[in-house]
Amino acid sequence: MKNRLLGVFSKAFNIANVDETISQRNCEKWDSLNHINLVVEIENEFDISIEPEEFDEMKDFRSIEKIVLSKLNN
Amino acid sequence: MEYFIFRNSTIENIFGNNNVSYSGYNEIQSFDAGANVYVWLYLLPIANDKASLLLEIESYFERIQLVSKQIPSNSLFLLFTLQEIQGLKYQHNDFSVTKAISNFNNNITNFALEHDNVKAIDISEFTRNYNNIQLIDWKYYFTSKMILNPRLASPFASWFYKQLEKIQFIRKKCLVLDLDNTIWGGILAEDGIEGIKIGGDYPGNAFLNFQQNLIELTKIGVILAVCSKNNEQDVLDAWEKNPYIILKKEHFAAYRINWNNKAENIKELALELNIGLESMVFVDDNPAERELVKQLLPAVEVPDFPAHPYLLPPFFSSLLQNYFSVYALTEEDKRKTEQYRANQQRVNEKQNFSDFSSYLKSLETEINIEKASKFNIQRIAQLTQKTNQFNLTSKRYNEVDIQKLIADNDFVYCISAKDKFGDSGISGALIIKKTTATEVEIDSLLLSCRILGKNIEFAFVNKMLGELKKQGITKVSASYLPSPKNMQVSDFYEKLGFQLLEENEALKSYILDLQNTDLKETEHIKIQIQ
Repeated sequence: MKNRLLGVFSKAFNIANVDETISQRNCEKWDSLNHINLVVEIENEFDISIEPEEFDEMKDFRSIEKIVLSKLNN
Repeated sequence: MEYFIFRNSTIENIFGNNNVSYSGYNEIQSFDAGANVYVWLYLLPIANDKASLLLEIESYFERIQLVSKQIPSNSLFLLFTLQEIQGLKYQHNDFSVTKAISNFNNNITNFALEHDNVKAIDISEFTRNYNNIQLIDWKYYFTSKMILNPRLASPFASWFYKQLEKIQFIRKKCLVLDLDNTIWGGILAEDGIEGIKIGGDYPGNAFLNFQQNLIELTKIGVILAVCSKNNEQDVLDAWEKNPYIILKKEHFAAYRINWNNKAENIKELALELNIGLESMVFVDDNPAERELVKQLLPAVEVPDFPAHPYLLPPFFSSLLQNYFSVYALTEEDKRKTEQYRANQQRVNEKQNFSDFSSYLKSLETEINIEKASKFNIQRIAQLTQKTNQFNLTSKRYNEVDIQKLIADNDFVYCISAKDKFGDSGISGALIIKKTTATEVEIDSLLLSCRILGKNIEFAFVNKMLGELKKQGITKVSASYLPSPKNMQVSDFYEKLGFQLLEENEALKSYILDLQNTDLKETEHIKIQIQ
């Protein structure tokens, strides 16, 4: 699951190396447009729906992982 | 390629930020003036208030017209049609929004027909592959103002670039054709109406096939025109009398059959047909003519001509693919040839080519003048027999006649010419008879038409006159004997500065006072005398 999620980051941001430390603060590519790309890619990859209320919480890898896991477990 | 997109919703996710910039939402005031391609991609806005939606849609076309006036007219301007993706109908018999959309679409498609750089793209070609639940995702509309579902971003982008490929292939309008050795084999002026190769066996059948294909081109709205160095009457006769020529006068919207330089003729054709040079393609078997047009009219497309008639079918197919392939065929396209013919106006104004001399320079022409000898007498005799057009007196000689002239101490010279495209071989002759110790008469002067149009004729004659002057000759007499085919040289001696003594239907006679004549050297041509 972690690797799948890292793959999604790399696809959405079009960058090769992504690790679990990635966050809006340390990643230049993570702008508002790519944020939407990321959400779309996550929804596609895991076949889940992320709610607008959650968009703002998605600030780094950990927080996103948490959201995805909670949806997958439901 | 730099794109600038006028938009009313978030579409950055579709096109990204590399080489693409975007207007503000609904904004047309500021835009990047340096883009190659401008795109109008407005998606039907989401609105509850129908009256304001109608006003909004109505305003789009006006905005497009404003934008069109401000962007560079040589930049492509692509307009997306509008389509109703989501709409609430409170009244089933209310078609006002549908009508407004279809008005807009009509307006922009007409606008595209009127402006060469404007193209309309039918967005329904994309959206028809999806239903309206797939097309919009309200979550992204409300959070990010995306009207098109971001999941469709990448299929939309690839569909768009495919459309762009088809469109940028901007179709040419007019194919300008040479005649001799281009749409038939052989040279009309030399081989005659019956002698040119068209139909029947090879190579005539290959040229016939080419003509058939060209006729098909006229049916998809391509205008054909002729630009040929010939006597107009000869060609008109051939069209009328040779039954194997199927590409006739009526297939051509305009023609220039004369001895002017072809770049000038093509410019006139463009004026007459009222089309831009950039929408013309010129086909000629002669590389020197192609080079002239390429240099003087860089906007005109000039493809290489195949080396063998049997290669005409693939040549035609490349013409079709590269210049005339159609992404949309309208009724108007089909009527175009007729229209252009109807609108035909002879434009008599001659254009001067300020840089004709730089063309001549680029040819690197060299001419070589030789005294008649046993190695070239046969060819000289043959030239006097065959040369019709550039032939001042049309006197015909056989080998024995030429030998006699040499024995009588007359001057018999021949000329060969070469340029960067190749060597013409012996292609002209000059016969000068001595009348007294200090006076001569030009008996014959002829040049094959394949070396004409490069000022070789002037260089040749002036050089020879210079030689005569050195030998103490003071007076040169000359005459022009009109024939059905040599009108083009009726004023050749005038151009050289000869004085006209007498003129009647059968003869123009001239004299040149060599002692008091400054002989000009012709620029850009190297001359050798052997």
